[in-house]
Amino acid sequence: MTNKVYHTINDFLNDPSFKNWVLKTNLSDVSFWNYWINNNPDKKELVKEAEDIILGIQFKQQVVNSEVIESEWLKLQDKILENKSISKKNSLKTNSWIGIAASIVLLLSIGIRMYYFNDAIVKHTTGFGEILNLKLEDGSLVTLNANSSLSYSKDNYRKVKLKGEAYFQVDKKKTTNAKFWVITNDLKVEVYGTIFNVNTRKQKTQVFLKEGNIWLSLNNGKSRKMLPGNFISYSSIKNTITEDSKKVIANEKTSWKDGTLTFNNSTLEKVLDKITDTYGYEVIFKNPEVKNMLITGTVPTHNLDICLKAIEKSVNVLITKENTKLVVSKK
Amino acid sequence: MKKLSDEILWKSLKEGDLKAFSVLFNSYYSNLFNYGLKISKNKSLTEDSLQDFFLYIYEHRENLSDLDKVSPYLFTSYRRFIIKIIQKNLKTKIVRDIDENIVDINFTPEELITNQESTTFRNTRLTQLLNKLPKRQREVIYLKYNCNLKTQEISEVMGINYQSVVNNIHKAIKGLREEIQILQLFNS
Repeated sequence: MTNKVYHTINDFLNDPSFKNWVLKTNLSDVSFWNYWINNNPDKKELVKEAEDIILGIQFKQQVVNSEVIESEWLKLQDKILENKSISKKNSLKTNSWIGIAASIVLLLSIGIRMYYFNDAIVKHTTGFGEILNLKLEDGSLVTLNANSSLSYSKDNYRKVKLKGEAYFQVDKKKTTNAKFWVITNDLKVEVYGTIFNVNTRKQKTQVFLKEGNIWLSLNNGKSRKMLPGNFISYSSIKNTITEDSKKVIANEKTSWKDGTLTFNNSTLEKVLDKITDTYGYEVIFKNPEVKNMLITGTVPTHNLDICLKAIEKSVNVLITKENTKLVVSKK
Repeated sequence: MKKLSDEILWKSLKEGDLKAFSVLFNSYYSNLFNYGLKISKNKSLTEDSLQDFFLYIYEHRENLSDLDKVSPYLFTSYRRFIIKIIQKNLKTKIVRDIDENIVDINFTPEELITNQESTTFRNTRLTQLLNKLPKRQREVIYLKYNCNLKTQEISEVMGINYQSVVNNIHKAIKGLREEIQILQLFNS
């Protein structure tokens, strides 16, 4: 060390013993450099500069939560596996013989799978005017709205298929990070423990997220992250997102589970649409102009007669039941 | 030893080993996320970009070259990747422009350790001073002292030559020291 010449700042920086002196990690280096600095006062400024560069700015290690990383990894893994199956499908097209053979095998295996699948499937269905509270094996709570169905295979109750509307309170599986899936005709909802509402009526799927965060895989291959308060409406037939709101009042989307419907400046037509979802009547407007009257407020749904009375009062119309039809007319 | 295993993991990844990929993902996610957040200042954009970035790596794994060092490669390509995304976003929205070679990194007091050994930097106004530095110097500081990259690696990541990384570090530290000395004169 003593024979070395220190002219520039890099001579100091590239010397491991100098670094040891700065960081006080090696006693003999410390005493050597203390001695050296005393005997080379002209290098004092350079030494100071080099010391500062080694010490630098100290940052606190900011680490992303390991749970977050894990869930991000699972998301990525799904995408990787999904892409694999897509590229396999594409390769089938290129070789027609293998393609035909493979599709026969595929058809057979689908048949076998369906056979097994039917065997162990659990299905919950509600009729018009019914609301069903379910508790799944893992503790997740599902409220199934009227005229809806929820099905899942017995050995995978965290992957459910939904027709109609349901409100989910999914328990987080901290130890396994196991996901919960809701599958509709339009999209898949990927969940790690959260509260949300899914509605698949009228050939589209509407998802409202109350708490936590969820991940949507739309059937067009795109995916979307949702944050609390977000509401999205997507139709795979039209391949469009028809509604996409950042902040929606929770009550409007979820109050049905408590037997009420909440509306905020909704048209009478939309309100009655909701009623038909629940009770299955066909609505006939005698005076089309009343369709656009606005309703704000909460109406009870457990009793259709009371519900209709409440609507009649708030917008001043007459609603009469005729067999399977509701006829709306001006008062 | 850690570096060695990264390179072995990289080789396994090239052969399609998902397990090896998950280990790499886990060990680099935090650092890349923080770096991306610094560049984009947007959490969900950073998350999305990392998903796409790692997916891109996996899908192109067969064309990746063997690496002596994984870490500078990941930083370099991720930096390019996220800048491209930001530029794409800028086309649709009119926001300030971003140059491919210069990113704008800002520091916060919370991420700095201020009660450190060096008397020079024992100053709570360090953040303000840091943020007054030229952009390049800020990024060099971030990569050197926060991501612990070597000088050569920083030059690869930022696409500037070795000497200018050295110069930027020296200038930044020297500039900080002078500023702090002036402040101390007035405060003491």
